[in-house]
Amino acid sequence: MSRIVIDKNKCKACYLCINECPKKLLKIGNETNSLGNHVVEFVDLKKECLGCAMCATRCPDLAITEVYRG
Amino acid sequence: MATQVFKIPKSLKENMKYSFCPGCDHGVAVRLVAEVLDELDIQDRSVLIASIGCSVTAYDFLDVDSVEAPHGRALAVGTGVKRAKPNQVVFSYQGDGDFASIGLAESLHAALRGEKLTAICINNTTYGMTGGQLGPTTLLGQKTTTSTMGRNVEYYGYPIKIAEHVALCDGTAYAARVSLDTVANIRKAKQAIKKAFEVQLNGLGFGFVEILATCPTNWRMTPEQAHERVRKEMMKHYVPGVYKDITETK
Repeated sequence: MSRIVIDKNKCKACYLCINECPKKLLKIGNETNSLGNHVVEFVDLKKECLGCAMCATRCPDLAITEVYRG
Repeated sequence: MATQVFKIPKSLKENMKYSFCPGCDHGVAVRLVAEVLDELDIQDRSVLIASIGCSVTAYDFLDVDSVEAPHGRALAVGTGVKRAKPNQVVFSYQGDGDFASIGLAESLHAALRGEKLTAICINNTTYGMTGGQLGPTTLLGQKTTTSTMGRNVEYYGYPIKIAEHVALCDGTAYAARVSLDTVANIRKAKQAIKKAFEVQLNGLGFGFVEILATCPTNWRMTPEQAHERVRKEMMKHYVPGVYKDITETK
């Protein structure tokens, strides 16, 4: 099962990853981190994640630390 | 069984956190350099020559030896390091103001001498760290804190096309301009950075990559709008491409 791992304390809320995801699995969450930012959440209820790593490639702050495909 | 397709490069320091503004492309550029150091397996013999501006903070993130040579002197110091220790892989990570304004003489002469160095230059058309002043690469018509009516030719002259200038130097082995506006272009940028390191490793000459990047804070734009500007304005004037590659077979 493909999935990503987000380090919430690194997210600076630029939200570039949200538009990058081809399956639109990333959204702005309600939770805030130590920087006071509303961090990005990964919600994949239907197991749609492709493991394409486009979100991680785009993320300027390495907040998406791991991507697994399979 | 899921396979890991993305991980934090080991050439970056453990638990490091970028100090760049939200949406700044510096983070992507530093990561690409780290990935290339990993792939070429040269982390333990690399020396980073840090510059001045936001780019200087690369030494906080890259887990390599580093020397700071501010105000454009990175490639002059890099020349010394490389000549004293020819087996080390020496590279600079500079901004456009550092490389092409205050350090233009050092930069172009390093290329003309054909020093076996790699230079990465981030072009964001402004002086980011000091508050968004007009820099050598500021586009015509662009408003900055020191060109409030927009850059005009009569008063400020024309912006410099760095990659083309470096490509004209006979000692240059590889000169390219890349952009970070899309994921596809980020992947191309990594290939260009890798090539710029390979020409150094093979002793062919000076390797150079100019990276078109955003500065959302000083452009007063959202990160998305900033990438749109790179596409619509910057890439028209600063056309991405490989301007010199002596390894290319025709």
